[in-house]
Amino acid sequence: MANFFPRWTNWVPIKLIVCGIVLVCGLTGATWYYVTPKYTKVRYQPIQPVPFPHDIHVTQLGMDCRYCHSFVEMAAQSNVPNTQTCMNCHTQVQKDNPKLEPVRASWKTGEPINWVWIHRTVDYVYYNHAAHVNRGISCFSCHGPVNHMPVVYQAKPHSMGWCLECHRHPENHLRPEDQVFNLDWKPDDVKPAEFVSKYGQPRDTHEDFAKRKKLTQTEIGETLKERWNINPPTNCQGCHR
Amino acid sequence: MKRVFQHPPESPTGKHYWRGLGELSDTPEFRQWLEREFPPGASELNGDEWSRRDFLKLMGASMALAGVGLTSCRKPEMHLVPFTKNVEWTIPGKFLYYATAMPRRTGAIPLFATTVDGRPIKLEGNPLHPASGGATDTFVQASILDLYDPSRSRRFVHKGKTSNPNDFDAYIGTLRNTLGSQQGDGLAFLVGETHSPTRYRLRAELEKTFPSMRWCVYEPLLSQEQITAAQSAFGAGTRLVPKLDRADVILALDSDFLDCGQGDLESVRAFTSRRRVKAAADNMNRLYVVENRFTLTGAMADHRLRCPASQIASFAHALAKKILTGTNDAGLDGVIGNLQTAGGGTTFDEQWLSEAANDLLTKPGASLVLAGPNQPIAVQLLVCAINAALKNLGQTLIVRQVPHNPRTIDISQLASDINDGGIKRLFILGGDPVYNAKRGLVQDRQTKLPLDWADLQKKVPEVVRLGYHEDATSALSHWHIPLAHYLESWGDALTSGGDYLSLQPMILPLFGGLSEIELLNALLGGPKTEGPELVQETFRATNPPGDFQTAWSRFLHDGFASHVQPHDQTSAFNANEVGAQLPSQWTLPAAPTPDSPEVVLTASYEMDDGRYANNGWLQELPDPITKLTWDNAALMSPAYGKKVGVQTGDLIQITINEKSAGAEPIKRELVIAALVSPGHVDNSITIPLGYARKMPQFYELPYAGGDLKERPGIEEQSGFNGYFLRTAANPHFAVVGGKGIESVKVSKVGRTYPFSITQEQFSIEGRGLVREATLEGYRANNEFAKKIPGEDELPHPPPSIYAHPPLDAPQQWGMSIDLNVCTGCSACVIACQSENNIPIVGKLQVAHGRIMHWLRIDRYYASRKPFDQDRGDWPENPEVVHQPMPCQHCENAPCETVCPVNATVHSEDGLNVMAYNRCVGTRYCSNNCPFKVRRFNYFDYNQRPVGKRRVAGAFNIYEEYFAPLTSKGAPDIIKMQKNPNVTVRMRGVMEKCTFCVQRIEEAKIAALARAGASADKRIPRDSFTSACAQACPTGAIVFGDIKDAESGVSKMKQQDRNYRLLDYLNVVARTSYLARIRNPNPKMPDAENIGVASLVEKVPE
Repeated sequence: MANFFPRWTNWVPIKLIVCGIVLVCGLTGATWYYVTPKYTKVRYQPIQPVPFPHDIHVTQLGMDCRYCHSFVEMAAQSNVPNTQTCMNCHTQVQKDNPKLEPVRASWKTGEPINWVWIHRTVDYVYYNHAAHVNRGISCFSCHGPVNHMPVVYQAKPHSMGWCLECHRHPENHLRPEDQVFNLDWKPDDVKPAEFVSKYGQPRDTHEDFAKRKKLTQTEIGETLKERWNINPPTNCQGCHR
Repeated sequence: MKRVFQHPPESPTGKHYWRGLGELSDTPEFRQWLEREFPPGASELNGDEWSRRDFLKLMGASMALAGVGLTSCRKPEMHLVPFTKNVEWTIPGKFLYYATAMPRRTGAIPLFATTVDGRPIKLEGNPLHPASGGATDTFVQASILDLYDPSRSRRFVHKGKTSNPNDFDAYIGTLRNTLGSQQGDGLAFLVGETHSPTRYRLRAELEKTFPSMRWCVYEPLLSQEQITAAQSAFGAGTRLVPKLDRADVILALDSDFLDCGQGDLESVRAFTSRRRVKAAADNMNRLYVVENRFTLTGAMADHRLRCPASQIASFAHALAKKILTGTNDAGLDGVIGNLQTAGGGTTFDEQWLSEAANDLLTKPGASLVLAGPNQPIAVQLLVCAINAALKNLGQTLIVRQVPHNPRTIDISQLASDINDGGIKRLFILGGDPVYNAKRGLVQDRQTKLPLDWADLQKKVPEVVRLGYHEDATSALSHWHIPLAHYLESWGDALTSGGDYLSLQPMILPLFGGLSEIELLNALLGGPKTEGPELVQETFRATNPPGDFQTAWSRFLHDGFASHVQPHDQTSAFNANEVGAQLPSQWTLPAAPTPDSPEVVLTASYEMDDGRYANNGWLQELPDPITKLTWDNAALMSPAYGKKVGVQTGDLIQITINEKSAGAEPIKRELVIAALVSPGHVDNSITIPLGYARKMPQFYELPYAGGDLKERPGIEEQSGFNGYFLRTAANPHFAVVGGKGIESVKVSKVGRTYPFSITQEQFSIEGRGLVREATLEGYRANNEFAKKIPGEDELPHPPPSIYAHPPLDAPQQWGMSIDLNVCTGCSACVIACQSENNIPIVGKLQVAHGRIMHWLRIDRYYASRKPFDQDRGDWPENPEVVHQPMPCQHCENAPCETVCPVNATVHSEDGLNVMAYNRCVGTRYCSNNCPFKVRRFNYFDYNQRPVGKRRVAGAFNIYEEYFAPLTSKGAPDIIKMQKNPNVTVRMRGVMEKCTFCVQRIEEAKIAALARAGASADKRIPRDSFTSACAQACPTGAIVFGDIKDAESGVSKMKQQDRNYRLLDYLNVVARTSYLARIRNPNPKMPDAENIGVASLVEKVPE
């Protein structure tokens, strides 16, 4: 009986298996990378109706976050400023700048400005700003260096895993309450003696932090966590209602 | 290894708690129904005509189409839209609370409205108001949905065409000039009762401007008999206010004073305050009820006597004689001296009557006899005389002065004025008289036939209607003006006790409606106002102390004005006047018989007088007694049903023949479905009113009443219109011997009607779920609630085989429900629905067991004596116990262990939490829940249309079965009501009571924000509560931290009546109950059967 299949067909199953493995691994890898918030959300930088430069307002002019996001310490949402807030200054400053035309138009007509939403959490997640900024979590931890952004983009993935990372180890992000809105704060800025006299140090440390030259973020965080009784929820109800 | 749980054995002597007649007879169908996790059909796609196969075919096609239409993968751009200018007090996403009030015919209810971003989303009682103390009822809770009713009136209509406000203004201007020159001759107003001082003031001004105008107040369910009786007994402008907290013994004659819709919340609170038993030494009041049907009051009774409504008069007379013997009161003697009872009248259990009378006599000044609003003037007067003889006046019964205008006429007077041609211009403010006016108001001059309101309204040349819906009355009016909701308008109102409340708008009128006082002001020619000026003027006249602006702000802030106090009247009972008047009022119809039953027309617990006909929450609320949703029915007793061969669901035709002075006798007919209701009196049929009101979107639906042939689609209607049988002569009950009634006949139609009753769904067999005892039994054994009969023989509770997360949070949440003060009113059910965005599912879906209420109220009938249902031997006079059933939040929750995706887990503060976004809809949890409190969202009820028929080819299918193809998204007006702090759940997700986790988290976060840079993040004790507990008018539900021994809930749980459900399964529920205590009079004939059903093994037969 003659061979129906040529000799090269012997390799076909192995080739197919290898191709299959490569394809499955590739798909998995691609999904892992491309279909998670790390890829889909981070660096999202849409064009806003008014090119509001955070770097000029915050870093150059020294405005506080709370001048515009005025209810961040009271409410779940950190509000976007209304036109009136912009016009507090821009009736005097840059009052003919063409970039501000939409603001002036809004002021004149009463039609609000439609800012493009960047940091959007899904509807079943109930994030609360007040619970974070009042308890030593800075804007920086979630929003990145907004004070140096000419155009705002999303800096962190805001995925559930990312949230939980901090909820399990808040010491990596806690900072003194007066530095919450200082986005340039570094752990190195902390003077250990002053810090210890104000906040003490964790009970189970044997070393005297006050004598140290520097404190690490973890050491600062551990101290504050214990002092303020920080115990972030890690169960479902903390964020899903 | 499969574990088989053992339950205590059924009592050998028969059943003692049962939920419905199906369960009681234990038919195979019922067993099959019960043994399924959800009722049959609930887990199958085919509601009617669809099979799973058809669905798969269709889905295949949809998937193929979806591939073709795959659009770009670009991230959708969404916007953040701030205000242009700051709005005072508003913080985006934060709740703001305002005091206001809900005007009601029996007196306004003080409220706190929760608003968020400018929209009201929830109503709570105003806790600052001392008399009501934060109580609400179902109608208050549901009224928020009326504000966002998509079919409410949105336009000005003139002669059927859309008009505009300017044209109406012009019309009013011309009218004012014309009327002014005629002194208002031919002008009449037909209004509802709102108890608004500003309306009183504007009316007085109108009467000055137009001296010959007429003003008629008509409320279909406001008892004219009670008003008239109070006025003849105590003088004009008086009203009787019961003080139930002072009464030790109460006898209610057909009086459902615990129904908040009919009575008032203050009475409910006062009554239950005397039923709170903290320890065995405490005393309770005692309640005797005589009524024809089971009411909420009857369910709370210690002794209940079934008596036809038409024979209450006879009972009252017999009682009066007993009281007279006991007191020798001259006034009472004078009143009943010249009354004769009709020969052959009903006889009553002599011992029942005399012992009840003796009990009243032992408590002079601390007893109270109440006559229901449906009883004739004679009974009202007789009861006044009895109370006077018992020295209750000024003690348990206060005579209060109320605003009174002698020029007010009633609807019969207005009808005859119209019939005489004296009315040229009629203003109808609110109401829906075409639907709910009494039939046969006047006689037509030519034909001598009685005329209904619709005929009369057509005779008026100009009718202006201010209405919330474009309903049947609007269709017969020349002008229709949209009415503003009470949450959209300024106003004021008096409570039932006479306290002065403010109403302020939460939102501008959504569709440009007017309030009543704005319309009256326009007619007066006053300057147009959008602010509180009209109300301010009234308020100024009350002479508020101090600076006016401060007093006004305080009035708005508190919601009531404490400087205005109601005046009590000291004038004595006018026995002579009453004695002279009584004989003419006294008619005593013969007792009803099986061939000639009585037909009783009452208010319904859901629709009131029909004003909530378009409110889906109330339509879907199971009736507290019958557990019927979306419908009313002709209620009858099992024995009577058997006699006439009628079962639940059978259509019957009720025919009332009236004698007429004219040529032909009048025949009034109603085809209605019957419902067999235990505890109903024989030979009597009760029809709750308020259903089948013709509403805009129901226009295509058939109208109940008239000949059955004209109504082909009866299966699709919702309810039956009892107003067809309600005449001016016999507004409350029709019985042979009543005014002009020749015969009352009931016949079977031979068709059935589908009911959606939740009664037998989610049934739990008698496993000690309800525990009760008598007060004496409780004193003898105060630990009776701890164990149920047969529990000791059960094997030791198996230990949990799962690891449980530690319950180590600083607060541990729990709930306690006091069955002794729960009246079953269902305010909590609607409050839960309103707070937690629970969807409406429609009548068909309810029938399939898919009702979504997170909190249900189980109604158990209880009977001590065993009976033989094969012989048709039903317990005639069972008791009723209500048991609210939310998620029990078991510490060893059976639902958690079976979830394959960890969507339901335990939190460290003891909540059984549900993560919707994780749930894949296996429904294992619901299968494993011993309390059946989990609900599955089958059809995207929040997003897609339900309950509407759609014809597809040969099929006639409900729209929800087209789910993937129907338009998605609720109308904006519906979305406006949703609580932004609770996820609106989608299809395929399990949901259940969360203990209002959004409120818990809100409280925790507020504590965190307060704590700031400190460690003190405690939540103040009892600083917040769950929606059901907040709504409860009697404080039966208490929620809080069980770790704190001083919290309200801990104190409840420390009581000896405390018990947990299914403790022998070791589920360790966080919700516990306080056992029910009844207080029977040992001398009464039925005393030994009362309140002992749960202990029955211990009582010898």
